[in-house]
Amino acid sequence: MSKTYEYVHEPVLVKGDHDFKSITALVTDVNLRPTPTGWYIAFGIANILLLIMLVSIAYLIWEGTGIWGLNTPANWGWAIINFVWWVGIGHAGTLISAILFLFRQDWRTAINRFAEAMTIFAVMCAGIFPAIHVGRIWVIYWVFPIPNQMAMWPNFNSPLLWDVFAVSTYFTVSALFWYVGLVPDLATIRDRIKSKIGKVLYGTFAMGWRGSNRQWWTYEKSYMILAGLATPLVLSVHSVVSFDFAVSIIPGWHTTIFPPYFVAGAIFSGFAMVLTLMIICRKIYKMEDIMTIDHMEKMNMILLVTGMMVGFAYAMEFFIAWYSGVEYEKAIFILRATGPYAWAYWIMITCNVLSPQFFWVKKFRRNVALTFVISIVVNIGMWFERFVIAVTSLSTDFLPSSWGYYTPTLWDVLTYVGTFGLFFTFFLLFLRFLPMVAVAEIKNILPQADPHNYDENGNYIQPKVEVPEPNRES
Amino acid sequence: MSDKLKQNSYWKSLRELAENEEYKKYEEREFPENAAEMTDQVSRRSFLRVMGASIALAGFAACRRPVQKIIPFSEMPENMILGEPLFYATAHPFQDSLNGLLVKTNEGRPTKIEGNEAHEGSGGRTNIYDQAEIIGLYDPDRSRTVLNNGNEASNEDFIEFASGHFSETDQRILFISEANSSPTLQRIRSQALADYPNSEWVTYEAFNDENQIEGAEIAFGSRLRTINHFDNADVVVALDSDFMNPYGHKNSVENARKLAGRRQIQGTEDSLSRIYSIESTFTNTGSFADHRLRLKASEIPAFTFALAAELSGSVSGLEAFSGVSNEFSGHDWVSMLAQDLLESTGLSLLTAGYGQIPAVHAAVAAINAALDNIGSTVTYHDVPHFGEENQQNRFIEAARELQNGEYDTVVLIGSNPAFTAPSDLRFEEALGQAETVIHLSHYVDETSRIADWHVNRAHFLESWGDGYSYTGISSVIQPQIQPLFGGWSEIEFLNAIVSGEWQDGYELVRETWQEQYPDDFEARWREILHDGVDTELNFEEIEVSLSEDFAGQISVHLDTSPVSGIEIVLKPDAKLFDGRYANNSWLQELPEPMTKITWDNVALMSPATARELGIPDERRLKDKDTPVIRIDTGDSTIEIAAWVQPGHADESITLTVGYGRSGLGRVADGVGIDTYPLRTTEALYYRQADVSATGRNYEIACVQDHHSLEGRSMIREATMDEYRENPGFATFEGVYGFEVPGMREAREKGDDQPITLFNAREYPDYEPQWGMAIDLNACFGCGVCTIACQAENNIPVVGKREVGRRRMLHWIRTDRYYEGDEDNPRALHQPVPCMHCELAPCEQVCPVAATVHSDDGMNQMTYNRCIGTRYCANNCPYKVRRFNFFNYSREFLTNGDDPEVVQMAMNPDVTIRFRGVMEKCTYCVQRVSRAKTKSRQETGSKKPADGAVQTACQQACPANAIYFGDLTDENSNVSRAKQNERNYVMLEELNVRPRTSYLAKVRNPNPEIG
Repeated sequence: MSKTYEYVHEPVLVKGDHDFKSITALVTDVNLRPTPTGWYIAFGIANILLLIMLVSIAYLIWEGTGIWGLNTPANWGWAIINFVWWVGIGHAGTLISAILFLFRQDWRTAINRFAEAMTIFAVMCAGIFPAIHVGRIWVIYWVFPIPNQMAMWPNFNSPLLWDVFAVSTYFTVSALFWYVGLVPDLATIRDRIKSKIGKVLYGTFAMGWRGSNRQWWTYEKSYMILAGLATPLVLSVHSVVSFDFAVSIIPGWHTTIFPPYFVAGAIFSGFAMVLTLMIICRKIYKMEDIMTIDHMEKMNMILLVTGMMVGFAYAMEFFIAWYSGVEYEKAIFILRATGPYAWAYWIMITCNVLSPQFFWVKKFRRNVALTFVISIVVNIGMWFERFVIAVTSLSTDFLPSSWGYYTPTLWDVLTYVGTFGLFFTFFLLFLRFLPMVAVAEIKNILPQADPHNYDENGNYIQPKVEVPEPNRES
Repeated sequence: MSDKLKQNSYWKSLRELAENEEYKKYEEREFPENAAEMTDQVSRRSFLRVMGASIALAGFAACRRPVQKIIPFSEMPENMILGEPLFYATAHPFQDSLNGLLVKTNEGRPTKIEGNEAHEGSGGRTNIYDQAEIIGLYDPDRSRTVLNNGNEASNEDFIEFASGHFSETDQRILFISEANSSPTLQRIRSQALADYPNSEWVTYEAFNDENQIEGAEIAFGSRLRTINHFDNADVVVALDSDFMNPYGHKNSVENARKLAGRRQIQGTEDSLSRIYSIESTFTNTGSFADHRLRLKASEIPAFTFALAAELSGSVSGLEAFSGVSNEFSGHDWVSMLAQDLLESTGLSLLTAGYGQIPAVHAAVAAINAALDNIGSTVTYHDVPHFGEENQQNRFIEAARELQNGEYDTVVLIGSNPAFTAPSDLRFEEALGQAETVIHLSHYVDETSRIADWHVNRAHFLESWGDGYSYTGISSVIQPQIQPLFGGWSEIEFLNAIVSGEWQDGYELVRETWQEQYPDDFEARWREILHDGVDTELNFEEIEVSLSEDFAGQISVHLDTSPVSGIEIVLKPDAKLFDGRYANNSWLQELPEPMTKITWDNVALMSPATARELGIPDERRLKDKDTPVIRIDTGDSTIEIAAWVQPGHADESITLTVGYGRSGLGRVADGVGIDTYPLRTTEALYYRQADVSATGRNYEIACVQDHHSLEGRSMIREATMDEYRENPGFATFEGVYGFEVPGMREAREKGDDQPITLFNAREYPDYEPQWGMAIDLNACFGCGVCTIACQAENNIPVVGKREVGRRRMLHWIRTDRYYEGDEDNPRALHQPVPCMHCELAPCEQVCPVAATVHSDDGMNQMTYNRCIGTRYCANNCPYKVRRFNFFNYSREFLTNGDDPEVVQMAMNPDVTIRFRGVMEKCTYCVQRVSRAKTKSRQETGSKKPADGAVQTACQQACPANAIYFGDLTDENSNVSRAKQNERNYVMLEELNVRPRTSYLAKVRNPNPEIG
């Protein structure tokens, strides 16, 4: 006996009655239209912030790391917090583009392009911090294993060295992945653009794409391979970043939960950032048909899941601190919740654990304004998570005599704010000159791309599939 | 040109050949008198000059070869190898005592002060003032010239003036001198008093031991010096006396050494002395005591008399006190102390602080006499320079006479009474009444500014001198360098005034000693200079007995009443003393031994008093500011930052002097508040004051923001009984009741250390292996290790702002924790240098391998390789790593108009660290390397003999609390210390295997108190 089941009704991924041409126009017209004034204003603001960052870095190099609020117990401060935060944000892009690709989550196609762009720019912002936070920036190249006449070699025991490799590999693979995905779309713009210079430039970067069968075959293989390469990186990069803390012996850092906890946190913050950017872009560039409320709802579900995961990690840290019986570990967690930095701890809990709880309710998941607010709140919370981890553990560690409070200076703030300048400068350039949605890929998931299951009127018919009854006797 | 050259000596000719402005300036500044002094007999000094000039001239000589025959430097001067330091014995005069020193000189620059082990008093140990004198010598703010009414003048001008002015022998001259034990100064003084019949000589020190001397006079009828022998005492009672710290007692080094010696037990069969401290301020001596009673300073007399009264019932000789009845009669402490003292008659010791009234000292002397302590734990000595009168009182009288215009000329030999004299004397104004005021001083200070003539003074490391230690060991002070800024010593100055012409201090000192040793003088002289001590010349010990009319004399003082309401206690500062070290940056940045405050003075008070005044009695970790209070004594008012000191007596506020300077120097100016205005002739030590909160706040740079151990086992301690019962109380198992995690598994495998993921770097085949042990039972937290380390390792001063941001650079710090009752806690001290872990967590995490392990077991820091990620410092569980957040060294060494001067203080064996690198304690690796080289040259073994390497902190420590040496030698001091049952390492459970371990504290409480 068999029974006929209906698939759960899945909403169509692209709304509106788009055909291939209108999709191409919807996305690439953004790049082909004259630059809007609003873009110039946004770009100007981003440039000012970028300049602030450059000035802050120049002053830092001139004067020394002393311009920051670092002190002897808290030798790491905002720089490392910002580094971890930006790397974390980057994670969503790779997760969306690689892992969801391998899992055939077609809805990813609407957001993967700019999520990947976000990844690359976030990793650039992140990469600045470990480079500039060192005392002697001019010899930072010593962290690379470059054969040299000093017969010196880096220390491969050090998690900071692992960071160097992890982050640089991650950046390289992400950039390649992004670029490979761009090639067919660059060719589309090349074909549509009127200006000579544009034709040459887009033509150059399109690398002679003609859309032949052979090219598509190569493209899809390489895209698949890169997705395969990028997938472990999603997990490894933030695991390695967490090793900076977990491999040390400082109470509150020295915990095995850190790698999964950091990865979950990274996806959490990354999705929040994608949501923030998506909600702005879909509105401004009128992409509501591609980046639909359904997309937002799916992402909110991920926010809820990862938020619960970090919440679980927070609770688990407390449990293990008690269960381990290590007095310093116990003390640091009690101090986090009740000590001099309790305010930061409770901001973190509120933003990361409590705020996503709204998304149990479908109505909230589909509410654009609320999602926008929570997506920002989550990133504030994730910044505080790193602050709580980095600063509390250092400032109140083993010897009470050395305990000291950490206070950032204006330069800490300016450098951090300045990295938003770098991020948005690049992001705005991306929006202006590159298609923000993978045009070639989105065409695959249009309802029109699936020419079956329609009645004579063009209405979609749910396919009926026979599913065997489970054999209860076996 | 050649004609001109021929007339001149070799060096002069080169200078003129050069005709270079820059060189001239250099030469004038550094060695102004070199040409005139070519005949100097001391070859080292000539050599210095030659070297200094030849470096400066190297460039010129290359382009313009001198026409005369010059001699190449192909032969080393005797005893001089470039790069090899030389040590010379000398002594540091402090008031009328001195401490024997060995000074390390590099190419003629004194760079480090060590104790002279041949000196019986110091036993080769030093205090913070001794150590800090190096930076005092190279202080570019020292006065560089004679000033006549503020205008620059030369030494010749002054001699011309003096020979004229002092030819008139009937003028009324007031000589005000610092306390000085120099026989040469005494000799010239006698001559001065003889030459000028109308002159007066007063010894002035703002803080002195006149009360103690007068106490001895009341008790025994003559002005005698009390010398305490803490090594002989089983029971010590300190009455408001911080005799272990140099501000509290002139013989602090010997006191601390001997007292701590009685606490360094080797095993359970040893015994400990028992120490009681009764005091208002929480001092280091109080923290070292087994029992401490908080009393207002003004309650101490009543307490002392009550104790004497209690004892009078059991021993004879205290009948004078038998009638005393006051608020302390029958006090628990009085009966308990009396009982304990009576049980150890002849082996007990009472001592009172310099600030207590003479009657207290007299009572203490009488009690010591009654308990048969005199001769064993206390001796009395006749000191030739004491004079007949109480100099404290004499100074007050003289100041009033001066005010009345009874003197024509005032000669001030050192001292700074315009700043330090009791405010009601209005000394500044009084000085104006004299026609001529002449002042010899290191700085153009408050007194110099109103003097007609200011003569710049030579540092003791630049001049000849002599003197007696507190206990009477005499020494000759040898100069280590030509005066940097010219300058005369006090004997040269006084001699110039008396004789009208300048004579080298060398001649003057020799003249004195020649009188002492007329036979075979040269040999004797050489011996004294070489050894640094002369054991023959001594203070005579006097047999004393209680005066017949003691009861009558003391009776008038017995009725004392403590200050009602809030008393303020004015003390010399632990770091700046009476203000003389105000421009010493090392001392300013040294954390105050108890409060851990740098760069400020504060008003110390108990939590209860703070609550009473309505200010917070606790600081939170994030607090940088502290409330400011107003102190009003009726005649003056100051506003000063309040600081809550647990353990301080209630209703008592301690203030320290010496701060709040202006125009003295770059370091001193604007630091702290001047509290001298509160000090009057009636209230030299304590007085009543009205205190109120102002509502304002002030930022204080304190190096320790958290003061509780939080129940952690950083410092382990037990009472003597507990120790005897459980000798292993300090081990991990003793503390936690179970073994170090991983230990059992390791033992099953035949290993004696817990398992680890990392390769243990123990190099079992390599010898020596260095290690350190610190005896917490000896350490009393004075902080000399910090300064000694700073001097040895070229650690720059970072200033208040940076210390306030917790960026101090000291390589060894002394942590101080309070434990117990908030109102009356115990304070525990723990010096923390780098632990040199065998499995160092810092080494694992450095990405560029800038910190690595050496074959001999040291955790080394390669500055040139460091890129400054600071990961090592984060991962250090002991937080001993220090980071150069800014270019501190450059700021410290190129600051001001004359940076070369400070640079001369640097140790050439130690790298100057630049911005962006980490630094930390190296176990004085430069000393270790030198000893290894030397040992290999001399014996062929790379293992130096035990004791051949002393780290700077170890060498300086007056309590001998630090052991350092080779762990592969089972008989080395450090190995034996580590075999002590009290040995433990901090954070053993982390399995980082520190090479620095601690010997746990064992207290000896009176079972009566429990």
